[in-house]
Amino acid sequence: MALAMPEGDLQTRLDRYLTGFRNGHGLEESVIEGSAVKLVVRPEIITAVMATARERLGVRHLSFITVVDRRGSFEVNYELLDLRGARVNVKTVIEGEEPVIDTITSVYPSANWHEREAYDMFGVAFKGHPDMRRIYMWQDHFDHHPLLKSFEISTKRTFEGLR
Amino acid sequence: MLSEERHVEPSDQSALTQPAAGRLVSPDIRDEFGLETLDMNMGPQHPAMHGLLRLILELDGETVVRCDPVMGYLHRCQEKIAENRMYPAVIPLTDRLDYFANMHNEHGYCLAVEDLLGVEIPPRAEYIRVLMCELMRLASHIPSVGFLMLELGAFTPILYSFRERERIQTIFEAVTGARMMFHYIRIGGVKADLPEDIPQKIWDYIESLESNFQRDFVDFIQGNEIFISRTRGIAKMTQEKAIEMGVTGPGLRGTGVDFDIRRDYPYSIYPELDFDVITDTEGDVAASYRVRIAECLQSIRMIKQCLEKMPEGEVMGDTGRRIRPAEGEGFGRVESPRGEYTVHVVSDGTDIPYRVHYRDPSFCNMQLLQEMVPGHYLPDIMPIMGLVDPVSGGWDK
Repeated sequence: MALAMPEGDLQTRLDRYLTGFRNGHGLEESVIEGSAVKLVVRPEIITAVMATARERLGVRHLSFITVVDRRGSFEVNYELLDLRGARVNVKTVIEGEEPVIDTITSVYPSANWHEREAYDMFGVAFKGHPDMRRIYMWQDHFDHHPLLKSFEISTKRTFEGLR
Repeated sequence: MLSEERHVEPSDQSALTQPAAGRLVSPDIRDEFGLETLDMNMGPQHPAMHGLLRLILELDGETVVRCDPVMGYLHRCQEKIAENRMYPAVIPLTDRLDYFANMHNEHGYCLAVEDLLGVEIPPRAEYIRVLMCELMRLASHIPSVGFLMLELGAFTPILYSFRERERIQTIFEAVTGARMMFHYIRIGGVKADLPEDIPQKIWDYIESLESNFQRDFVDFIQGNEIFISRTRGIAKMTQEKAIEMGVTGPGLRGTGVDFDIRRDYPYSIYPELDFDVITDTEGDVAASYRVRIAECLQSIRMIKQCLEKMPEGEVMGDTGRRIRPAEGEGFGRVESPRGEYTVHVVSDGTDIPYRVHYRDPSFCNMQLLQEMVPGHYLPDIMPIMGLVDPVSGGWDK
């Protein structure tokens, strides 16, 4: 069964996505920049925004999830593609030392490993994730998150509990 | 060499098309008869594995019930190293990511930084970049076909494919000075112009490859009954499933979704080139092989167009002495041989990147293993690895 591809030219699709997000979630600050729709959302509604993107607007492909450590807060970027030239860039900011955000694996199953990577590298916990383990680093005895800005590159690390 | 006449259609087609999960004993029956599953490690050091990958397998007889890839044996935390270096000094690191697509890695990173800087690239440099990337794609697609055949027990195709890769590497050596870790594509252009005799040499090589291609990589493999019975219907997935699992590249196009970054998210000079996006309908291992083979011919077409259209002129744009982009973020998205490769660079206004993220297709495509391997026989893992075609340096960053 062939998958339906989004229709219309690039500009109409971008406008359609923008109005879709605005009507659904009242995201007034969202803008179109080049071929991308840029949204800034509160972390509480991230799953709902993702569900709108996939189910209502038909943006099917999750490109990647990036976390940026802003020293005190974490910026989580989600990049979605509609496979025909348009991008949707969703940004959310989590405050605090122990960041928690809802998982989007229920909407985009491919987010599974991206979220595990973000957890491994930054300690961002994804609530409701089916398999929240570290993906690269040691499962036990290693309590650090290497991509945090507080992790110094040249310091010797200890493996707590191991000699 | 097996000809088409010797190619035997398997008589029982239904056995191939039925969902693989039908072979599994249901958990109730397993409990009733006290059957136990067996946990087994495949790798990290396994002669047939693509690099250092460990698969934790749960086996019921010879059928896999659960497959859990464990990664990190080659993890160098490239993203952290990049946060401690100046912008141009990250390029040689990106070479070490996916070491079968070095040119694409460099290209993606340079596009991201150029997106931040807003510099203009001279047209000749763009043509040289695309020329090198398409040669790299040939040097990656051809050996991946060879690896697939090696895993199925055929030794000759890997020799043929490495013969071709060796010739392409000789061209790279003449142009860049290195055989694998090029450091050739720079922010703003390329390091040096092509040597004078190289366009003719590339042309001659491409002509000879084209004339032998059908013989060495199609006739030799496609009609082989072992190849057919080991790859047809293996890891068969629908378009919906492939998109859901985040698969890109030949695996996705094998299911029939015509998505190619080069056409749909155009970069560099691809809009000026004439090429087709190859798709197949089956969505199994054999389909991904056919897509790779057809893409090689498209690459040959593109290389010829590049050589014909290449303008004269400078190969390096004006980026200034120090590369210090304004605050913001840049994206570079390229079609690597394995799928969508994206670099996300965040700048804080200094000459060191604040954050670099690589979206590597090997990493994302590997999620397929968790979903597709259960229900297949143990020996089918190897053809499925041939479909995913992961590279150790790519998934482990």
